Amino acid sequence: MRKLFIADLKMLVRNRQSLFWSLMFPLMFTVIFGLFFGKNSTGGTVALIKKSNSEIANNLEKAIGDSDLFKIRNEDNLQTAKDEIKKSQISAAIEIPEHFGEMGPGGTTQLIFIYDPGNIQASLPASSFLDSYITSINFKIQNAKSIYSVENQKINTRDLTYFDFVLAGILGLALMNSSVIGISIAMSKYREDKILKRITTTPLETWKFIGAEVLSRLMLNIFQIGLILVVGVYLFNGHIYGNIFILFGIAMLGAILFQLLGFVVSILVSSTDAAQGMATAITIPMMFLAGVFFPIDALPKWLSSIVQYLPLAPLLRMIRFVALDNISPFVNPFNIIVVLAWIVLLLAIAVWKFRLSEE
Amino acid sequence: MKNVIEVKNLTKKYGKLTAVDNVSFEVRKGEIFGLLGENGAGKTTTLEIIEGLRKPTGGDVKILGMDIKKDLSKIKKRVGVQLQSSAYYHYLNLKEIIDLFCSFYGTCVESKELLDMVELGEKSYSYIGSLSSGQRQRFSIIASLVNDPEIIFLDEPTTGLDPLARRNLWEIIKKIKQQSKTIILTTHYMEEAELLCDHVAIMERGRILALNETHKLIERAKYPYNILFIADKVDKKIFEKITKLGPDIENIFAKQNHFEIKIDTKEKLDKTLKLIQQLKPDIFTVGKTTLEDVFIELTGKTIKE
Repeated sequence: MRKLFIADLKMLVRNRQSLFWSLMFPLMFTVIFGLFFGKNSTGGTVALIKKSNSEIANNLEKAIGDSDLFKIRNEDNLQTAKDEIKKSQISAAIEIPEHFGEMGPGGTTQLIFIYDPGNIQASLPASSFLDSYITSINFKIQNAKSIYSVENQKINTRDLTYFDFVLAGILGLALMNSSVIGISIAMSKYREDKILKRITTTPLETWKFIGAEVLSRLMLNIFQIGLILVVGVYLFNGHIYGNIFILFGIAMLGAILFQLLGFVVSILVSSTDAAQGMATAITIPMMFLAGVFFPIDALPKWLSSIVQYLPLAPLLRMIRFVALDNISPFVNPFNIIVVLAWIVLLLAIAVWKFRLSEE
Repeated sequence: MKNVIEVKNLTKKYGKLTAVDNVSFEVRKGEIFGLLGENGAGKTTTLEIIEGLRKPTGGDVKILGMDIKKDLSKIKKRVGVQLQSSAYYHYLNLKEIIDLFCSFYGTCVESKELLDMVELGEKSYSYIGSLSSGQRQRFSIIASLVNDPEIIFLDEPTTGLDPLARRNLWEIIKKIKQQSKTIILTTHYMEEAELLCDHVAIMERGRILALNETHKLIERAKYPYNILFIADKVDKKIFEKITKLGPDIENIFAKQNHFEIKIDTKEKLDKTLKLIQQLKPDIFTVGKTTLEDVFIELTGKTIKE
């Protein structure tokens, strides 16, 4: 069985179609969502044109630098900054004019904020920051105290972004695509090419054949999950707060569920093309309905009460419990019960109907 | 000689259709046994039941003294199977496929030895997709030899090959026989069966119509001899004399002046020959009936691919 396992691994790596679905497809989503919602993407880069050396100007420069809301880049030429804003290369520019903050007759009091109204979303963090900073200086100079204030409270004490939510979703998506599509196409192709039949003429036991297939794919899944996490966390500042081993454990449980679904699809279809069609018809709607990109609570109630039973939905909830909330994946037993129920049901169908030979 | 395969009253039904109908035969150790018949005659179904791939509706099959119903896993270790138009893994090279299949058995033959045997040594690191159909078929035969089997099943090993590749494969089958292995093959090429097989069974609609040693089957044909000749002039008087002797003169495929005469006895053959010589034919050959003639005689039809 060891040789078959190694041979299966070799075939997985050499088969570009299987590699695309298991690695490139989820990585593509990670990169796309990472670029939109990952590291520093909310405030983008802001150019700072500083022409004054007053204490206030220096303090402002330091405060801007300390802010995590956006990246700052010093720029000498105002026109260059304006051109970059037009091309959306930077979100906005702040000009601290000559003599700004200087005491005495020549001192100026006005900062200049340059932004593109067509891209107000990108410049918003910088403009809000500037507003509140200037207000606080005004209070200070007038020696006044603010009476009303707002206390901002985050739901989660951790720094969580939409990208973190999607990153956990992409893990489930990757497991589903590579396993359902991978297994159903591989088995149908093996059947079409009479490889399954050829195997039954040898003394190899069926469980060893399936075991090697499943194990080699689990190896690919471990690599796949690792790669997505590395790209998500290190390139796009995604966050994983829970225990990585528990996360991998849940991922493997999901991989087994989806591999079984792949076997069942291969039972139901008679050709490789049909397997591809059916696997896509299962995975694409599930990708959108089970909460990969949006919380399923956003769906109409009647629909969310149905889709919460899709195999991917409880799996994603468990992945997010571990990855985002750092709590036990079994905190809500409903999720693990649904996952196990699917595994038992699909396993029963596979054992009942899946055969290497025709009779 | 010892029987290595014994098939008794084998029957296979699919609903109302009887694919194999009460078939019995034996295969002796070291011989090549051929199952002949056109497509749908039941050859492959019979072979696949013997290989353990299909369950019989009735009857018994013993291989190397063991019952296929009880000892299939033991049997599988001692036989080799080449399936009809079977493909192998696309993303493993030839050497890797042989080594992998080797690992399924306890015993193993070196992949190099097998690949060299069919002149595929240089292709050891190629994928199956890069081989020609003849090379693929050669590979598929050696893949059935990985466990050094005592019996080899070859299902239509030369179907779809060009004449040269077919002859090449016959040589390989001959080499395997020389290693005192028993071969059971199916084919619808009569020439192939006549050349390779020691015993043949002719099948039609699931039944065996004739079963014998190949040469005996031919000898027992209704017309064991034939004469082919090309004569410029059609001398009606001589033709009448020949037909009076018994045999018919047949114009071969309506070709001008090409004739064939089928003859049942040696005595008639001698007399007919003398008469034909009077025609001063350009060319004439005296031959024995072929297996194909026997097949046509038995089934009343020729085989199409």
